[in-house]
Amino acid sequence: MSEDFPALSPEVRALLDRERTSPPLSPAVRARALAAARAAMAAGGGAAAPRAPAAWTRWAVAAGLTGVAAVAAATVAYRHQHASAPALPAAPAGTALATEPGPPPAPAPLAVPSLPQAASPAAPLPRLADDGPRRGKVTREELRLLSQARAAVAREDFAGALSPLAEHAREFPNGRLTEEREALHVKALVGLGRGDEARRAATSFAARFPRSVLLPAVRGMSARSE
Amino acid sequence: MSHLRLLSSPTPQLTRDEECLDAFQKELDYVYRSLRRLGTPPSEVDDLAQEVFLALRHNWATYDRERPLRPYLFGICFRMSAASQRKRRREVSYAVMEVDEPGPGPDETLLAKQLRAHVLNALEQLPLKRRAVLVMHDIDDVAVRDIAAALSIPLFTVYSRLRKGRRELEAALRRIPAPASRTTPATSGGHA
Repeated sequence: MSEDFPALSPEVRALLDRERTSPPLSPAVRARALAAARAAMAAGGGAAAPRAPAAWTRWAVAAGLTGVAAVAAATVAYRHQHASAPALPAAPAGTALATEPGPPPAPAPLAVPSLPQAASPAAPLPRLADDGPRRGKVTREELRLLSQARAAVAREDFAGALSPLAEHAREFPNGRLTEEREALHVKALVGLGRGDEARRAATSFAARFPRSVLLPAVRGMSARSE
Repeated sequence: MSHLRLLSSPTPQLTRDEECLDAFQKELDYVYRSLRRLGTPPSEVDDLAQEVFLALRHNWATYDRERPLRPYLFGICFRMSAASQRKRRREVSYAVMEVDEPGPGPDETLLAKQLRAHVLNALEQLPLKRRAVLVMHDIDDVAVRDIAAALSIPLFTVYSRLRKGRRELEAALRRIPAPASRTTPATSGGHA
């Protein structure tokens, strides 16, 4: 078969042969994957429900939602900038901006249900609303925090992931990467063996992002913690 | 007693879901390996493997049991990886910040792990479509016609992708610095 192609050099052939015999998964990873599969099966109802097309469309839906969220955030920022100068009668109930004396009412569509996050005292309003022109910087900062958390989770330093996640929750309660933050939070809690908190966080995630592409994974993780 | 034996003796009849889970379980190592070879970052492999399972489960009723399962699974892995890669590109390049997998496990020496990372890094340089064909053919030993069926592409395209992919892989392996102690007989051929 391979006579039709440029033959691989012996060195490359040897490397590929070595790759062919890569080590098996650790029992922990295997158990985790199978538990998640069983949980997905149990959650999926009848056999072979129309899930797979959803697997494709979920990505598209997520992309759409991201776009909608971005537009919503931009609209809020725009409204904020143009509405805050004239006298506004009263400060909003609940949370308050740290920097401005008379902030506008909090935008209702972006209200967040309280999350079982690690320390989140007196969370400020979304920072996005403050700095429309600096949104790129804000997004980079969001990314920086979440990347730290992802890296910590990837090296299984779950406790180390909580700190950037909490900081992100404080700084960007309604940031563009909130969905990813909450999913990572569940993952970190599961990794730490804090099953009850993980399940509460997963429930909160499902309520807040019922159509999230990450929802099956979050449910799977939470099921693993049982 | 014989009555009890009769009750317990029939071979358990697996439901379709159980049968699917059983097949997935047997090929779990293969699914994880394939996702990594297709460029899925370590931190996303778990999630993507679950997506693969869901897709397999959905299609299990129509899957032809006469066909080999691995190329079929690889086709699913390929499509999932492509979708995930598109998503990552749209959002931000997490891959840049992705950390490597944790240290070597008990079954894998440091050098073996480094060599594996070397191959994965080189594969990463190939466009996904050519990488998929090369991995199937040159690592998984899948026949060309099965590759064509699994990836839904014509035979000619398989040949052409394999030809280009091999050239690109050789070039990438020459370009990327290899692990320091490349002194094993298998790899002492002079590739830097």
